[in-house]
Amino acid sequence: MVSVIHAVCGYLFLLLVLRALTRRPGAQMTPFEFVIIFLIGGVIILATVGDDRSETNSVCAIISIALMHRLISRWKLFSRTFTALADGVPLVLLSRGEWQTEVMRNASVQQEDVMAAARVKGVRSLDQIKYAILERTGSISIIKNKD
Amino acid sequence: MPTEHATEPIQDSIPKINDEVAVGTDMEFQKRWWRFENALWIFFLLIVIAALLGGFGRGWLAHGKMQANDNSIAVQYDRIARYSTPSTMTVQFGPSAIHDGRTALWADEGLVKNLGLRTVVPQPATSFLVPDGTVFAFPSLGDKASIRLSLEPQSPGMKNFKLRVPGYQEIQGSVLVMP
Repeated sequence: MVSVIHAVCGYLFLLLVLRALTRRPGAQMTPFEFVIIFLIGGVIILATVGDDRSETNSVCAIISIALMHRLISRWKLFSRTFTALADGVPLVLLSRGEWQTEVMRNASVQQEDVMAAARVKGVRSLDQIKYAILERTGSISIIKNKD
Repeated sequence: MPTEHATEPIQDSIPKINDEVAVGTDMEFQKRWWRFENALWIFFLLIVIAALLGGFGRGWLAHGKMQANDNSIAVQYDRIARYSTPSTMTVQFGPSAIHDGRTALWADEGLVKNLGLRTVVPQPATSFLVPDGTVFAFPSLGDKASIRLSLEPQSPGMKNFKLRVPGYQEIQGSVLVMP
């Protein structure tokens, strides 16, 4: 029973921390940020399973986490507010040739990140970008001028 | 017979920016979130500072000391311990509590059960149950006159304990066990 409570608490705490780590731990992750995510996951595991290494404990913990994830996913379907809380909202980083500096600063996104996403779409320079949008997944969508 | 699926006509339900790109952004919400996020990071920083100082155990704030008024025993212990994590309590016997190098320590059920007493070092010559606790008898402690109790609390919460040398004044303490 304790492992179920630990797993649920761990899941909710992880949700809060990863959400607060801003949008960067998403598609724009650097290798170091990957390591941080694994490190956080590893620390949560310690508290979740404790010194009980039985299969029963691990199965209960896994099912609890899966159930929590399922519940959260279903809840998102019915509530836009909850979706915004859990995943955030898309943010416009560049609009009609103007950087949205406050958004970029708060979202910890640099111009280079936008340009990196633009290059993937074959965009050679910033003046070819009409809109750059930081999506909820952490990826940056680029809408070209000619579009 | 063809299978029917639930369908819904497309509606322009995603808010647009500049009336041309459906993004669905919500800056009012986002600004509120950033304010919450800033408060959250301050809260996290306070937690880290409290942890460094021992506010959650294993640090300066967590260490506690108690002494009986008759100086029969003095106890050093962790006022803040952690669930299922070892901690040590040191009991120092005063000269008045030692007779011919021998002494005894009475501990209540709180220490044995709630705080999860594991071992006593040096090992007592005998230990026996009395109606309200356990008595550990030490035949010869020599000059050192102190013992160490290894504890491992098995549930979180505030745990009380009592100790005394039989026939001497009792001391009471509390340990906050963090989850």
